[in-house]
Amino acid sequence: MNKTIKLGAFIAPLFLLVANEIHAQDDVLILDDNVQFDDGAIFNDDSFNFDDDLFGDAFDEESADDESWLDNFTIKVSQQIFGQVNNHSTELLPGFSIPQEDELSNNRLGINIRYQNPFAPGWLLQASAQAKAYWAADYEYETNDDRVDTEYRLNELFLQRSFGQHSVKFGRQTVVWGETVGNSVLDVINTSEFRDFTIIDIEDARLNQLMVVWDFFGEDSNFSTFVNLYPEFNPPAVRGSPFFFEPAFNLTDYDRDSELLIEVGTQWRKSFEGSDIAFMAAYLYENQLRYEDPISGFGDAVGEKNDFLLLGFSANRAIGKLLLNFDLAYSHNVLADSFNFPGTTALTSAINLRKDQIGTSFGFEYAVSNEQSVSVGVQAQMVLDEDEGLLPGQSLFNEGVVGSWLMRYSNSLMNGDLVLSSTMQGDLKADSLLVLLGADFTINDNWAVSGQLISINAASDSPLLLFDANVHLGATITYSF
Amino acid sequence: MNKLTYSLLTVVFTGALSSVSAQDLNGMEIMELVDEAQRSTSDSAFNRMQLSTCRFGIKESRITCAERPRVKSLESVGKNYGLNLKDTKSITIVLEPAAERGIGMLSFAYDESDRDNETWLYLSALGRVKRIASGSSDDDTEPASVFGSEFTTEDTETGKLEEYTISVVEETTESGRDVWKIEMIPNEERARKSRYSRTISYIDKERYVALRTEMYDQYDKEVKRLMASRVELVNDVWVARSLTMMNLVTNRLSNMAILEINTGIAVEEEFLTQRTLTDVAFRETELEKLRAQID
Repeated sequence: MNKTIKLGAFIAPLFLLVANEIHAQDDVLILDDNVQFDDGAIFNDDSFNFDDDLFGDAFDEESADDESWLDNFTIKVSQQIFGQVNNHSTELLPGFSIPQEDELSNNRLGINIRYQNPFAPGWLLQASAQAKAYWAADYEYETNDDRVDTEYRLNELFLQRSFGQHSVKFGRQTVVWGETVGNSVLDVINTSEFRDFTIIDIEDARLNQLMVVWDFFGEDSNFSTFVNLYPEFNPPAVRGSPFFFEPAFNLTDYDRDSELLIEVGTQWRKSFEGSDIAFMAAYLYENQLRYEDPISGFGDAVGEKNDFLLLGFSANRAIGKLLLNFDLAYSHNVLADSFNFPGTTALTSAINLRKDQIGTSFGFEYAVSNEQSVSVGVQAQMVLDEDEGLLPGQSLFNEGVVGSWLMRYSNSLMNGDLVLSSTMQGDLKADSLLVLLGADFTINDNWAVSGQLISINAASDSPLLLFDANVHLGATITYSF
Repeated sequence: MNKLTYSLLTVVFTGALSSVSAQDLNGMEIMELVDEAQRSTSDSAFNRMQLSTCRFGIKESRITCAERPRVKSLESVGKNYGLNLKDTKSITIVLEPAAERGIGMLSFAYDESDRDNETWLYLSALGRVKRIASGSSDDDTEPASVFGSEFTTEDTETGKLEEYTISVVEETTESGRDVWKIEMIPNEERARKSRYSRTISYIDKERYVALRTEMYDQYDKEVKRLMASRVELVNDVWVARSLTMMNLVTNRLSNMAILEINTGIAVEEEFLTQRTLTDVAFRETELEKLRAQID
C-alpha cells in the first residue's frame, strides 16, 4: 500500500499544459488593407486572403443533415487525482493526536454517459450512467485489498410524454425545489451522497430516485407534482472514504420488507416580471436514516426511517444585476435528534421525539460584471419547542439555530475559457470553515482541465475536527464528446 | 448576455431597401434603413448557426487558423412583442460542443429603459431553471463575449443610432462592389459604454450589406475587423451568411455561419416560455413543427 505518493508529480504536467495555453498578446496586429475573403463571386482574390471554408464545411448541407443515432449520446471521460498535501497532526482530544500525512486519496478514472432521444413527437427517453475505476493509492483501491476496483451506477432513466399542457415523466430522476443554490432548505426531495471532499456541490451529490412527475403548464403558472415510488435514503459512508468511521455495528440500508413506502409532493410556480415564486407541500421521509443499536446487542444497526410533512415557499427577485433568493420550509414531525451531516451517519442514543422545525435559506447573487459574480447564501433551521418532552438532563443534538453559510466568487477570463472561482463554506456557529479555490480551463471543444485547492479549519466542537488544518489539492482532466 | 443570440442574428441582416434614391442618402439615413431591414427580418425567426473560434496566423499571405477551431452550434427562436414590436422574446439551445449540449437560455429583452431584461438558464446539472442576474437594459451593461466568441453584445446590437455621429467618408469600392465608407463616432455617453472610439463600415450600395467593418480603440488603432461573405438573397433581403470577426489584439477570430435563416414563421407563444427549457419532449416536438413550416 503506497501511502506516500506525492501529488506534485501528477498535477504539475496538467498545469504546465494549462500554462502553455494561457498566453496573451498585447501588440495589435496591423492587417494589410487588402485582407479579403476569396469566397464566391463577390470577393476577388487579393494578395492577402482568408478562406472561411476552413470552418469545418459549415455550409455543407449534406454533412449538416447527416444524423446518427450516436448524436443522442454525450460521453465524458475524466481522470481525477486528489489528496492531502500537508503533513501535520490533529488533536482530537487533549493529549490524543492523530498524524495526517500528505498522500493521494483519489486516483480514479470516470466515464459518464448521457443519452437523450426524443424518439417520437411528444416522447423522450433519457438516461445517464457512470462507471469508475479506482487506481493505485485511491482509498477505494486500498479498501479493495490493493486491487483495482470498479463501480457502476445508473443515474437517470426516464420516459417522458408531453401532450397539450401536460408532461409526465416516469423513471429515475431528480426533483429540485428551492431558489438558493447550494444549500436550500427545500432541496430535500432527492437523497445525496457526499463521499469525499471532491464533491462539494449538491448538484454533484444528488441521487436519482424512481418517480412519476406530472407537470401542468398553465397560462400564467405551472404545477409540478411528483410521486416517489421507491423512496431511498442517504447511503452510509463508503468504507475507506474520508467520512467513514468504524461503527460499533454495521450500517445497512433500511429494511423495508414488504412495506410500501411512497413520497408525494406538489409545487405551484408563477413568474412575474423580475420575480419567480413557488409554494410547495410534500409528504416525505427524512433522507438520513437514524441508526439504533441492535436489540440483541450484536449484528447490524437498525435503520429507522421517519416520515414528515413539508410546507414551503420560495421566491427570487431580480433588481438590475442583483438577484435575491429566499426559501422557507416548515417541517412537521421531524425527528428532533437526527444527525444530518452530509455523508455521515450517527450512532447516538435516540430521543424519540417528533418535533416541528422551521428553516430558511436566503441569499443573493450579484453580477459584478459580465465576467465576475458573487453569491452568498445562508441556511438556518430551528426546532420549535425544543425543550418540550425532554427529560431532565437531556438535550437535543441540534439546539437553537443551526445552519451553514456559503459564499462564492467566480471570474471568467479568456472569453470564458478560464474560470477562476472561490468558495467558502462554514457553519453558523463558526466551528468550521472550508475554503475552495478552483480553476477550470477549457482547452478545446473536447478537452478541459480543472484544479482545486481545499483548506479546512475546524474547532473541537465541529464534526469536521478530524480534517482540521488539512489542505487538499486536486486536478481533473476531462474529455467530452 | 442581453438579447444575445437573437441580436447576434439580426445584425447580419441587411436589406435591399426602398425606392429612395441611394445617391440622396446621408450616413444616418443609410444606417437607419439598414436598421429597419434588420428589424423586419428578425421577427418570428428560427435560425441555426455555427460559431467557430480559433487563434489565427498569417501563412503565405493567407490568414489561417493556427489551431483547431472551437465550434459551437446553436439553435434559436425569437419573436418581437410590445409597442412597435421592439420587445423580444428569444430562446437559444446549445447543440454542440458535447460538454455544453442541452444548455438553454430564455431571454426577454425590453425596449423600455426602465424595464430590466430577464434571463433564465437551464443547466441539466443544476436540475432546474435558474433566473440569472443579467443586469438591466443593454444601456447599462458593458459589452460581453457572445458564447465565448470574438463577437460581443456591442457588435451585435441594433438601433441606438442617435447615439452616434454618422457620416459618409467617401464612395469607393470594396471587393469589387460599389460601397459607402461610413464612419460612426459614438457620442460622449455612448463612448463610456463602448469599447470602440469609432467604426468604419463599407456598405454595399446596392445590397445594403456591410462587407467590412473596422473597429478602432481609444488610441485610434484598429483592434477588430469584421468581414462578411456568402451574401445571399433570403426572403427578398440580402443577407451575409458568413461573418468573421478578427480580434487584432488577441489574434483570435470567430466565424459565424448562419446555416439556416427562417423568418416570418409562426412561433407559438407557449414556446417562448420556461417550459421549453425543461420539457425536452415538448421542445423537440415544437421545433419539428417549426422545421415543417420551413420545409
